[in-house]
Amino acid sequence: MLTSITEILNLLKKYGKVEKIHKDTYVVEISPGKVRELCEILHWKLNGHFSVTVGSDERPVNGYFGVYHVFLLDKQKLSVIVHVKVNPVTLKIPSITPIIPGANWHEREAHDFFGIFFEEHPNLERLILPYDWPEGIHPLRKDVNVRELRYKLLKKETGLVVEKKAEEEYIVPIGPYHPALHEPEYFELYVEGEKIVDARYKGFHVHRGIEKVAEERLTINQVPFIAERICGICGYTHNVAYCQAVENAARIDVPLRAKYIRSILLEIERVHSHLLWFGVLFHLLGFDTGFMMTWLVREKIMDLAEILTGNRKNYGMNLVGGVRRDINEEKIKLSLETLDYVEYKLRKILDKMLKLKEITSRTKEIGLLSREEARKLSVVGPVARASGISTDVRRYHPYAAYSELEFKVPVYDAGDVYSRALVRYDEIFESISMLKQLLKNIPKGDLTAENVKVPEYRKGLGLTEAPRGENVHLVITGRENKVYRWRPRAPSYNNVPSTLVMLKGEKLADAPAIIASIDPCFSCTDHVVVIDVRTNVKQVLRLKEIARGK
Amino acid sequence: MSLKLFRRSLWVYHLNSGSCNGCDIEVLNIFTPYHDVERLGIKLVASPRHADVIVFTGPITRETLPKAIRAFFAVPEPKAVVAVGSCACGGGIWYDSYAVIGGIEAFYRILENYYKIRLPLTVYVPGCPPKPEAIIYGIAVLRGVLKQKQRKTYFLEKEVPALTRDFIVNLEKYMKQEGGINIGKK
Repeated sequence: MLTSITEILNLLKKYGKVEKIHKDTYVVEISPGKVRELCEILHWKLNGHFSVTVGSDERPVNGYFGVYHVFLLDKQKLSVIVHVKVNPVTLKIPSITPIIPGANWHEREAHDFFGIFFEEHPNLERLILPYDWPEGIHPLRKDVNVRELRYKLLKKETGLVVEKKAEEEYIVPIGPYHPALHEPEYFELYVEGEKIVDARYKGFHVHRGIEKVAEERLTINQVPFIAERICGICGYTHNVAYCQAVENAARIDVPLRAKYIRSILLEIERVHSHLLWFGVLFHLLGFDTGFMMTWLVREKIMDLAEILTGNRKNYGMNLVGGVRRDINEEKIKLSLETLDYVEYKLRKILDKMLKLKEITSRTKEIGLLSREEARKLSVVGPVARASGISTDVRRYHPYAAYSELEFKVPVYDAGDVYSRALVRYDEIFESISMLKQLLKNIPKGDLTAENVKVPEYRKGLGLTEAPRGENVHLVITGRENKVYRWRPRAPSYNNVPSTLVMLKGEKLADAPAIIASIDPCFSCTDHVVVIDVRTNVKQVLRLKEIARGK
Repeated sequence: MSLKLFRRSLWVYHLNSGSCNGCDIEVLNIFTPYHDVERLGIKLVASPRHADVIVFTGPITRETLPKAIRAFFAVPEPKAVVAVGSCACGGGIWYDSYAVIGGIEAFYRILENYYKIRLPLTVYVPGCPPKPEAIIYGIAVLRGVLKQKQRKTYFLEKEVPALTRDFIVNLEKYMKQEGGINIGKK
């Protein structure tokens, strides 16, 4: 087995031209015929994991469409981007989904947005674009103008895309508006009595066309603010990931103090997000006391964010090259006091609650995801860590100030809802300890780098560990201070398909808790698609009423 | 304009029509112990049919439009609307995105033109996201407890493409297909 970096680079050189774009990140440009072979080696043999597929319209630059498969090799602390040029006439390249099922959505998205055909893809259907979207218009192509498109679409008579209906079983629709979800998405559960035999997901209700808006209208330093609006819960990590991608592309050195401030805010965000998740989980299990108690403590964290940044959410703290506001001694003192209080309170509350029989009996051995399935679907974050995969961007691809901190990466093997809760429980306290280290050791210095200049057509990869898992932004810088291509990939994008695996064979009453256990963040994910189902069950009826099960 | 429609408890239905979650968690936040508006009789309900007030968060995306229309008509009269967040108020930064219809104004234009309904009283709570205090303030204005301080002003040209009849006909077809009801036609 190959281990050292030089061996891997030699291997990559056999396949095509290797270019180092920044620290620990290499681009391999290969011909379409070799894609599958290399991807199989990277994902399965080298024990890396598939992270994201990015489509890109590069016809104005080099006359081709581009497809980038991003792989992260945790052991070697390496990121490898496999770049394939796609002929703009035939638009065909081999699909990697047969080898790595996790690439399913990614390729369908590239198909939606650029019209690239992935050969031998099992189900190359529309994923993200709305039901009435006309065939043959691919919004992220460079020759499509957003505003024209908008006017055209609103006036055009368009054919309906009829959704496939499963034939013979009870269907329990959950969503698009459902008390358990708080976000519009649609799950169709096929049940036999109480048991779920199959599930289908139609998401992407919240697809807002963020990439096109950023590429057409905004400048490089405006994009961080829209990046924060990708998600209202974990927005700051998107913000940081984007900034890091551009900084990497332009080789900007961020001052250490700015890195510390970024890390502090990222950890604050993680604590608040995990507490939110605990609240939602308790609420879904019918344990509202837990919900109220955790959210009461969470309010302290929100106040802390407000003191440090000026807003409870959407901090608006980042620019390419640094941060915008400083933290003074007084705020540090206040933060440390708050953290002590929060830690004390949480130990008291969560320790008790996670031992309650009512909680354990509804979460243990429910919603199982085995290690193999997790590897196949390339899940990330707490979901992967609860299935025995040790992956954490903070540890294996350190960014911001994480290389200077001491922390543990909690890993559990059971792969059920309870271990996902335990992973998050451990992470909360790890985060609090990290926050204390950061606040005590924050160095003096500048807040932003000087002379920030962004060259044209450079690629940069930005990685962060969001509360929900690894978060990848690929940026290609453009002319006139603009972004040529920006693809944010939120962790839920990789995690949502795994719910369909978890749901099979479980009881209907457990469905909300299972869906919530991955901490789905649909607004992050919503770029597009539908999942197909194969069913072989009898008995028919459609329940028009939404299942109001809590 | 104070509202005397609702003399007793307000029941609220929260409709996320394409929000980033920022406003959603702040809306949820006002029901938790720190702000706890349940003590004022304001309650979050699971079904639009139980609600008096419908809280919109986020811009209205093309995908959620038919579902939002259905949910809107499911709320019994008299009803009021609270638009929470900059996106819901006027479309926000998504105003020219291909996947977004617009804010609550664009939504109302569709309702006005094709369903000929009287628009409900609407309270706008701008902010990104608005603080929980601001949302409570908005609801207090709705109840007539507090007076409205600001008036609406337009900064943009009003010229927006008119939706064609076909668009709506398609929409209705789609809604029927999904097991929907005939909206607006009795």
